[in-house]
Amino acid sequence: MSASRGVALVGAGVCKFGVRRASFRELIWEAGKACFDAVPGLRPRDLEGLVVGSVLPERTAFQSHIASLAAEALGIRPSALSARTEHMCASGTVGIRYAYAFIAAGLADLVMVLGVEKLNQPSGEEAILNMGTGVDREWEAAFGLTAPPCFALAAQRHMMRYGTTEEQLALVGVKNHTHAARNPNAHFQKGATLDQVLCSRMISSPLRLFMCSPITDGAAAVVLASAERARDLTDRPVWIRGTGQALDGFQLSSLPDDLARWPALERAAQAAYRMAGVGPRDVDVAEVHDCFAIAELIAYEELGFCDQGEAGPFIAARRSDDGGDVVVNPRGGLIGCGHPLGATGVAQAAEIFLQLRGQAGPRQVPDAAIGLTHNNSGMGEHVVMIYGREPA
Amino acid sequence: MTYWRAVDPFPLQSADHTKLAEFYARLGQGRLSTTRCAGCGRLAWPPRAFCGDCCADRFEWVDLSGEGAIQAFTVQETGLPAGFPGPRVFAIVAVDGLRIFTVILNGEAGRVAVGQRVRLRPLRVADGPTGEPRWLPAFAPA
Repeated sequence: MSASRGVALVGAGVCKFGVRRASFRELIWEAGKACFDAVPGLRPRDLEGLVVGSVLPERTAFQSHIASLAAEALGIRPSALSARTEHMCASGTVGIRYAYAFIAAGLADLVMVLGVEKLNQPSGEEAILNMGTGVDREWEAAFGLTAPPCFALAAQRHMMRYGTTEEQLALVGVKNHTHAARNPNAHFQKGATLDQVLCSRMISSPLRLFMCSPITDGAAAVVLASAERARDLTDRPVWIRGTGQALDGFQLSSLPDDLARWPALERAAQAAYRMAGVGPRDVDVAEVHDCFAIAELIAYEELGFCDQGEAGPFIAARRSDDGGDVVVNPRGGLIGCGHPLGATGVAQAAEIFLQLRGQAGPRQVPDAAIGLTHNNSGMGEHVVMIYGREPA
Repeated sequence: MTYWRAVDPFPLQSADHTKLAEFYARLGQGRLSTTRCAGCGRLAWPPRAFCGDCCADRFEWVDLSGEGAIQAFTVQETGLPAGFPGPRVFAIVAVDGLRIFTVILNGEAGRVAVGQRVRLRPLRVADGPTGEPRWLPAFAPA
């Protein structure tokens, strides 16, 4: 697969993540404003398209027709592309893939992708119930299933098969909470010690509170441009080098028997690496989908950062932390930053944008040249993007 | 105020709502069943009215044994959705070569184990909008 035209990120903006005293529309305003402020000379009316990733506005804000709402709120008048993407937790990155494909195909030159989710309404109890809409209602959600037990099943399996320990799972929480403390937009900013993570309350065995992402409101935006427009707008575009998406199954009982292996992630990663012309060892910084600690560990393996079954020792040796083989989740990941579903993939891209431009401040990975994002919807559906300081 | 219907998490199981209503009717009688594709013979779980392998939309109902073994489980203690009390044991159970996602009832959390034998124990949940009973395929230690 090869694209006909180069595509780059030219701007990014993220709002403060957390339990926000702000409406759905206000979150859109905040992320849009941050993104436009990052691209001097770009005005809303210059954009030809807007894609909005959002999962649950019908249930949380009693609002659909989201792309048009956001376009009007931000003063964008789409002439080539206006759409919403809903692919549960991967909605944001799926939106970036749409915008990428549109620009690569020559159908647009300048497109914003915005992700937004207002989860903490109408009430906290309903917020958790609402999250169950992402699993199969008839055969899973009707039992009260939400995400934590799904990933707990994978964690149990990984521990049984490879000897992965509770402490190794906890180290993901320690690392990502510690990283989040350097990110003023993160939901949590107090850091966490190993004891704190291991003593936090049990959610779904073996996953404890600090090994889980919280329920977060937030929004993020990026602007994608064709090569020519990118060079007009900035002298430091961040190039999209590769992308892949693959799906193994929706229901738990449709996934491969061995829940500690995610073949769809391996396939998505291989497609992205092939297209980018790089391999796992070339990746300097990665934003991976640590909705739960086990997800980050399995991602190390399927992305090729370490061998099968070696993720526990890999994090214990600090090989995914500052100074290691690849710095994973420098902004704090989903565990530290929070997980406003539709916004997550876009916020991951925004972080890689800052990292590859050397603008990530106290969490900057020195001289980062190749960045990767991994965004999933459950355990069977995965999207990978690879970005570079230089075009392919 | 009838607002609660907007958050009803249980499927609509009557023949007015699903052509697979037979599954729930049998479940209410204590029988675990599923569909066999009339085109290629594939036994599906969950039951389905369209075969993703051979594209047939003809099927027959087959009763399963209703007994199996726990393949994987987790105990959720907190963070359950409104209306679902914890701790709750979620499991994948192998029954007659199929893998079934379910909950384990009456299992003392500390005693649930991989490999444990379990048997169908239909779980009655809130009645449907017109008062008909609704059932889910839960399991309990055999």
